[in-house]
Amino acid sequence: MTPERFHQIVAAYGADARRWPEREREDAQAWAREHRSEADAALNDAAGLDAWLASDQIEPPSLELQRRVIDAAPSRRPAARRRWWWSGAAVAGVGLLGGMAGAFAVSFFMLTESPPPIMHDVHESSYLTSSFGGTTADWSGE
Amino acid sequence: MSDVPPDPDGELIARVGREEPGAIRSLVARKLPRLLALATRMLGDRMEAEDVAQEVFVRIWKQAARWREGEAKFDTWMHRVALNLCYDRLRGQREDPSDDPPDSIDPAALPDARLEARASEAHLRAALAALPSRQREALVLTYYQEMSNVDAAALMGVSVDALESLLTRARRNLRAQLAGSGLSKDKS
Repeated sequence: MTPERFHQIVAAYGADARRWPEREREDAQAWAREHRSEADAALNDAAGLDAWLASDQIEPPSLELQRRVIDAAPSRRPAARRRWWWSGAAVAGVGLLGGMAGAFAVSFFMLTESPPPIMHDVHESSYLTSSFGGTTADWSGE
Repeated sequence: MSDVPPDPDGELIARVGREEPGAIRSLVARKLPRLLALATRMLGDRMEAEDVAQEVFVRIWKQAARWREGEAKFDTWMHRVALNLCYDRLRGQREDPSDDPPDSIDPAALPDARLEARASEAHLRAALAALPSRQREALVLTYYQEMSNVDAAALMGVSVDALESLLTRARRNLRAQLAGSGLSKDKS
């Protein structure tokens, strides 16, 4: 490491050795230890600018931006197919249940339609057996 | 055995290529702040930077399934896409004469240390925006994005010597801006 090269490195990359070229870092640090006053002058000079650069903070991405980015990502197709399969099965199941309910309702009303004659008979018999039955027959005969 | 170290993002990109929702969220958490910082510093405009970041991710989503390790690091490719989009917009800005230069704040008008710090930050943004774009790119890649000099030079398509020259000139220009700002105090 030469003094010129040390100054070039600091002038280009700043005072923080972590930013120095990896292949030259150890040599440059060794040179700085051996030439403390000259190295410190260069490093202090660069550190002021480094501190100014470090003051620039970028706000993290908003949740809204993160959501927009994620929403633009492709969704996994097999999962989508699975969802469609389940929703199709659900529709078919609802349809089947509806059909069964309908069949039950039809059969119920079919059964409840036959009672009228029975009711009629009941009504008729009640009419015939009522206390007014004989009286009406009696009036009709008048 | 290959001497090329594995791409630190390789496995995650493969999972993104398989459209795993967890991998997609991880990649956004890992790369979106980095992309947004790069674009904000290159463009000096937050809204435009967000547009660039979104556009980069659209391209990532399209390419992830076809990504093959070994050809380039994913992070380097991502930076290249982002920088190309930034340069497209910077060319557009140059063609628009109505664009104003970045604001500069007069520190003398500010009442307290916090506002003075904000003024310093605003002045730095203005100084970065005033740098020639290649100097700004070199500085942003090596200082803020913490890329190695070899990676940054490869990304910019220049030699390491040329990168160092750009960095040295960028820092010299910024130092002059800082010295003339009234903000420097003990900073050189």
